[in-house]
Amino acid sequence: MEFSFIGTLQKILAESGFAAFADDPRNLIMILVACVLLYLGIVKKFEPLLLVPIAFGVLMANFPLTGILNPPDANGNVGLFWVFYQGVQYAVYPSIIFLGIGAMTDFGPLIARPSSMLLGAAAQFGIFSAFLLALALGFPENVAAAIGVIGGADGPTAILTASKLAAAYLPPIAIAAYSYMALIPLIQPPLMRALTTKKEREVKMEQLRPVSKTEKIVFPIVVAIFVILLLPETAPLIGMLMLGNLFKECGVVDRLSDTAQNAMINIVTVFLGLSVGCKATAATFLTWDTIKIIILGLLAFMLSTVGGLLFGKVMYRLSGGKINPLIGSAGVSAVPMAARVSQVEGQKANPANFLLMHAMGPNVAGVIGSAIAAGFMIKVFGG
Amino acid sequence: MIGNLTGESFLIALSGIVIVFLMLAVLCLLIPVISRIVQFFEARGAKPTAAEPQTPPAPAPTVLAGTAFAGEVTLIDVDEKTAACIMAIVSHETGIPLSELIFKTIRAL
Repeated sequence: MEFSFIGTLQKILAESGFAAFADDPRNLIMILVACVLLYLGIVKKFEPLLLVPIAFGVLMANFPLTGILNPPDANGNVGLFWVFYQGVQYAVYPSIIFLGIGAMTDFGPLIARPSSMLLGAAAQFGIFSAFLLALALGFPENVAAAIGVIGGADGPTAILTASKLAAAYLPPIAIAAYSYMALIPLIQPPLMRALTTKKEREVKMEQLRPVSKTEKIVFPIVVAIFVILLLPETAPLIGMLMLGNLFKECGVVDRLSDTAQNAMINIVTVFLGLSVGCKATAATFLTWDTIKIIILGLLAFMLSTVGGLLFGKVMYRLSGGKINPLIGSAGVSAVPMAARVSQVEGQKANPANFLLMHAMGPNVAGVIGSAIAAGFMIKVFGG
Repeated sequence: MIGNLTGESFLIALSGIVIVFLMLAVLCLLIPVISRIVQFFEARGAKPTAAEPQTPPAPAPTVLAGTAFAGEVTLIDVDEKTAACIMAIVSHETGIPLSELIFKTIRAL
């Protein structure tokens, strides 16, 4: 065998990923997109726990020749990220994330004021109006339904719906959902101030009644029985959400509760982020549809906020001015960010205002509401 | 018809929001019923029997009924605002949510 150092070097370069960029330079653009997302996650802190793994997944997916996304071949070889993606494909990761969210959520404010449920329902308005807008822009019904669910402000729900109804559109939908969730403190306040009067924003709400431990234990069991029996498509999300909450409240499985809300949710977040990011290849991501989805996602968020606020105003009137309509915007399910925004805006209007606990009711109702809305979409368009 | 928007699309969207409202409205009605049942059984379980000795009444305390926390706290020579601050500080320092802390008495020393 005749060995040539220069020849070997030339061979390595010719077969490298750098040389392969010449075949499809769009991969370079996607690498740039990944770097921008990494910047937004690390420097701007836009949902960094998810955006950083998603962005790195985008980066990895767009390196040529890695075979990291290859399905199993006849020799039993398989790409690592293809294996990871099966957790999204079969809705495993979003459901486990919901288990963790359930273990971290206190449904006490919702139990203390059940009418918060209606605010959580009203804030799903954006899902259905964005669905109509997406249809008007020419998206097929199943894709429009998946895009609409961005308006629920619930990342795992949006991912689950997209994986079932429009897998090819999963990356832009997930990225839009998580990016806008991070932007809630910028998106919601102008709408809150535009749609409410100063008098309404100043309303101090009555203290919530104490909720007993037994009530908190019974709640997840009853919700799981009622909602899943009525809409079986919600079983993965509602079932895991309520199981996680039962872990937290029952007081006899503290180790499971701790694992669900810490180690398990963190591990699954890594796989979920990488799996979503790795589907963002140049061929699927660099399209006009992506831009349309980003715009529709923003509109969906805004319309959901508007729905919650307007219903909050209705409740303000019906309650004789006892309910501050600002808690309506927390009906979008981004927990607890949306509730914090209600608190901040309420305190700006009246420094003695403490709306956080009151806003947590609609906020957690929104999680249930968006899961129901997603279940409805999957039932209608899931074939 | 604009894009893929049809009359049926509006019907689907309307049905969707109505179903979400109905389901959450039923839960909204169900929660107080369950709470009443739970409170009824809790009250029955907590009723003192005739044989139990009566505890002497507390010395005229201020009782601050549940805010974000569960139960009642007895305030002795402490106003409600100060008590609320103390509870918030304890919650913050311990990292335990206020809803999971039970304060029985706050007394000025």
